[in-house]
Amino acid sequence: MHFDALLLSRLQFGFTIAFHIIFPSFTIGLASFLAVLEGLWLTTKTTAFRDLYLFWVKIFAISFGMGVVSGVVMSYEFGTNWSVFSTVASPVIGPLLAFEVLAAFFLESSFLGVMLFGWRRVGPSLHFLATLLVAVGTLASAFWIVSANSWMQYPAGFVRLADGSFRATDWMAVIFSPTFPYRLSHMVLAAYLTTALVVGAASAWRLLKDPDEAESGVALKMAIGMFAIAAPLQLLAGDLSGKQVGKLQPAKLAAIEAYWETRTQQPFHIIAIPDRATESNRFQVAVPKLGSWIAAGDVNAKVTGLKAFAPSDRPPVFIVFWAFRVMVGLGLAMIGLGAWGAFLCWRNTPEHSRLFLRAMVAMGPAGFVSVVCGWIVAEVGRQPYVIYGLLRTAQGVSPISTGEVSVSLITFMVVYAIIFSVGALYILRLMNSGPSPKPEAAAPPPRRRPPGYALAAAPAPPDEAAP
Amino acid sequence: MAASIIEPPPEAGAPREALWKRLAWFAGLAIASVLATATVAYLLKALLR
Repeated sequence: MHFDALLLSRLQFGFTIAFHIIFPSFTIGLASFLAVLEGLWLTTKTTAFRDLYLFWVKIFAISFGMGVVSGVVMSYEFGTNWSVFSTVASPVIGPLLAFEVLAAFFLESSFLGVMLFGWRRVGPSLHFLATLLVAVGTLASAFWIVSANSWMQYPAGFVRLADGSFRATDWMAVIFSPTFPYRLSHMVLAAYLTTALVVGAASAWRLLKDPDEAESGVALKMAIGMFAIAAPLQLLAGDLSGKQVGKLQPAKLAAIEAYWETRTQQPFHIIAIPDRATESNRFQVAVPKLGSWIAAGDVNAKVTGLKAFAPSDRPPVFIVFWAFRVMVGLGLAMIGLGAWGAFLCWRNTPEHSRLFLRAMVAMGPAGFVSVVCGWIVAEVGRQPYVIYGLLRTAQGVSPISTGEVSVSLITFMVVYAIIFSVGALYILRLMNSGPSPKPEAAAPPPRRRPPGYALAAAPAPPDEAAP
Repeated sequence: MAASIIEPPPEAGAPREALWKRLAWFAGLAIASVLATATVAYLLKALLR
């Protein structure tokens, strides 16, 4: 493998976006969770909902901050590493990203201030409005980002000028490109699942320590309710999205399923070791005909293989194939966990099954891993194009040296390792402390030693008289 | 700790401020938050120029 400026720029963007995406995918779901908690507290006056809100809003604020910090970096990378892409595509992509920034900053950032610092000042109703606006802001932010990315996956509503740059001719076609509705629903469901798994894991962790902690019991049941519904829906959304990929990006589907030959009755490869050199799978375990049925709903459907594309037009197969399987494998585990949790809720005992609670804790990071794997499938599967079929990734890179990108990549790795380790550890410490309000610390006993007393730090005997 | 700066809800039965005061706080906090964000954005822009 030759590490040139192109590959290093791709690695850098992949590294920074992998860090970034875990925060918005968590805060999108968490903002909605907070809105539900506050709405339930307002209507029922059950203190558990208020305590859960005050607990999770701290984690939301820290995650939101880390999401903003890691997102700003990527905006600059468009200019530093992908200046040619930015120059030719910004007339179309630029407004979509600008709307995302407006949504994120003018809804999320502004009303986050009211959420954190204004409950007593603005009163319950206006505070609830602020929480709702933040939740809407996170969803609006996802809308514009997925819209921009969907246009890169399947561009529509544009013309290309003589200098190679893009101009929008139909903004509705740009915003709502054919893959967009499927990808947006897939992303939003992924965010809700990620949040439900984290909330469930944190609550399960607390219940393993203290099975009688009422707030964690409530949060656990809410989390189970969310992913028991969202996980099967995600399977449906993923299937619809996959069928759309088969129609619009056949090379990506061929890489996802490790198909080399174009044929009917394609098998479904459960596992395989794809080899680009031999244009075949070195090893595979497959279910006959199932691949055609999954891709097109018909076992006799013809599904295109990678050999139908020139080698220079094929995406990397191995990483796309395995990222997809990790994502789907974890998705199936989430469905199983949801069914198990729903059964325990029906028997009213999820907080007393230690095996289930341990499984919940183990599945806590599964949403983040699935989201990152999903983005690997989407982005690596689009290669060798940055704008599918129109602009190759190699054409979009900035005229920069390998040394310059090496330095920035190493710097990012070091800085991110420090900042995000500290942030993640702080969040884990908060989760470990739990949502139950702690009793006020007892007031210190009256001071019996005057300031400056030589033995002030020594433990005082109970009968010590003031010197 | 973050717990100390996050404002909890008003106590049950606590007297409410007038609506105009609550609306003023709502708008003031939102504008202050936007200004804080804008300040950071313009500092970053100035730093990178």
